[in-house]
Amino acid sequence: MSEMRTCESTGLKIDKTAENMVMLNVTTAIIFLAVGGAAALLVLLTRWPAIHLLPVEWYYRWLTAHGLVALIVWILFFEMALVYFGSAILLNTRIAVPILSKVVYGLMLVGVTLVAGMVLTGNADVLFTSYVPLQAHPLYYLGIILTAVGALLGFIHFFINIAVAKKEGKYKKTLPLVSFGLMAGCIIGIMTLAHGAAIYIPTFLWSLGILESIDPEAYRLVWWGLGHSSQQINVCMMVAMWYMTAAFLFDAKPLSEKLCRTAFVLYILFINVASEHHLLVDPVLSTWHKIVNTSYVMHLAVLASMIHAFAVPAAMEVALRKKGYTNGLFEWLKKAPWGNPGFSAIFISIILFGFLGGITGVIFGTEQFSIIRHNTWAITGHFHGTVVAGTTIAFMGASYQFIKIFFRRELIMPGIAKLQPFVYGLGIMMLSICMMAAGSFGVPRRHWDYNFSDAPFGYQFDPTVDVFMSLTGVGGVIATVGGAMFIVVTLGSIFAGKKIEK
Amino acid sequence: MSDDGKFEAPGVFTLAIIFLVTFIIIWLAHAKWLGDIWELY
Repeated sequence: MSEMRTCESTGLKIDKTAENMVMLNVTTAIIFLAVGGAAALLVLLTRWPAIHLLPVEWYYRWLTAHGLVALIVWILFFEMALVYFGSAILLNTRIAVPILSKVVYGLMLVGVTLVAGMVLTGNADVLFTSYVPLQAHPLYYLGIILTAVGALLGFIHFFINIAVAKKEGKYKKTLPLVSFGLMAGCIIGIMTLAHGAAIYIPTFLWSLGILESIDPEAYRLVWWGLGHSSQQINVCMMVAMWYMTAAFLFDAKPLSEKLCRTAFVLYILFINVASEHHLLVDPVLSTWHKIVNTSYVMHLAVLASMIHAFAVPAAMEVALRKKGYTNGLFEWLKKAPWGNPGFSAIFISIILFGFLGGITGVIFGTEQFSIIRHNTWAITGHFHGTVVAGTTIAFMGASYQFIKIFFRRELIMPGIAKLQPFVYGLGIMMLSICMMAAGSFGVPRRHWDYNFSDAPFGYQFDPTVDVFMSLTGVGGVIATVGGAMFIVVTLGSIFAGKKIEK
Repeated sequence: MSDDGKFEAPGVFTLAIIFLVTFIIIWLAHAKWLGDIWELY
């Protein structure tokens, strides 16, 4: 029989095993965020023309490490915490197969350690996309496969848990909205990881010499079913954190829950086709197919984000108006708990995700524009607007809330914690905008030397580019300070924060 | 507007209207540009 406790702040009945797995995964995620952030600083200081820190080999090595750790590992471990949170804790039930949660964690940790080891020893200088015919050490691919299998089992565990909860009568007709959003993420997760298996297993066999070759066209086609779709898991889980915050902090409910659920279904049905903008120059797909998928179909997914982006603040407005903040149109917003980093981080995530990541995603993803912007630094600016300004800041906000609910600790350095989302948000906003500005002049993404020194055909960018490159560096340093503030406050609170007795 | 038809979040509703009007203006500007392109052909 599982051990349960009742949470004093939320009223949830919390299964001890589920709570332990949430705490383990959140702590691991934050440690990896520190690694990904350190790698980000090294990459940033190399792309900053006045500093140009790392030699070429080490630049690409740390860039690979930054992409994998910050984009995948930190987020994936946090999402595993959300799997147990959404499928057990929110439903006031237990983890159905506790041993499976430990297997998932173990597989992911071993896989990630293999990948990191291969990258940092120079055995996998293949960048995040690892396009063939670039070849890494077989252990790199094995590490990715183990991580993916672990995550896949984690997402499957979500469905086992909700099936058991349904059988035990823990919910009646449908899941609570937050769990529903997390379930949408798990569905996309399973589809995504199936693509990953379909491409990484043959690539692993190719690296061992068992398969003779991998077709680069086929690799790109299938890989982007993993590469871009994996970001849609993040979108679903990030939006679920928006709703969770509204519910936990204000006891807020969406004005129309049906509409919000429909929006999650739109994600499941349409968001994956956003991947097609990676394939615009591939001759396999027809022009008609490319245009329809990167415009009409993509807009249905974008519609879902617009619904959420208005539904969450509207729910908060209604709840705060009920608390008496009824003067004018925006007293509720002015009097919102901006000093609580669990709230401010989430609100910053909503704003920045919408205006930086969302709008630029719609523009850059369209067939006509993608062909111009693709592989420029503008795209890097776009996904720092979605994954960092959106998902990472939302998960930071959720971490602050989880430290109180699950770790039952007070935040250390509350003054620093209060400022942290604003410092990090400001830095990432500046970084993202300036990357997009530099990219619009044609500055390539990833490149160690965008001036192409010693190239047989030189190219001179407009001098304005140097200003934007340097401002990106300034924004990145501000974001690094904000990131370090988060790491110090959260890890400090987890390991040394004052215990909340009741 | 909630499921039962109540008007409960005027602040966000105002923001949504501002957003919508801006979007329509940008879309119309884009449509004009598309028209100009059409003229070229």
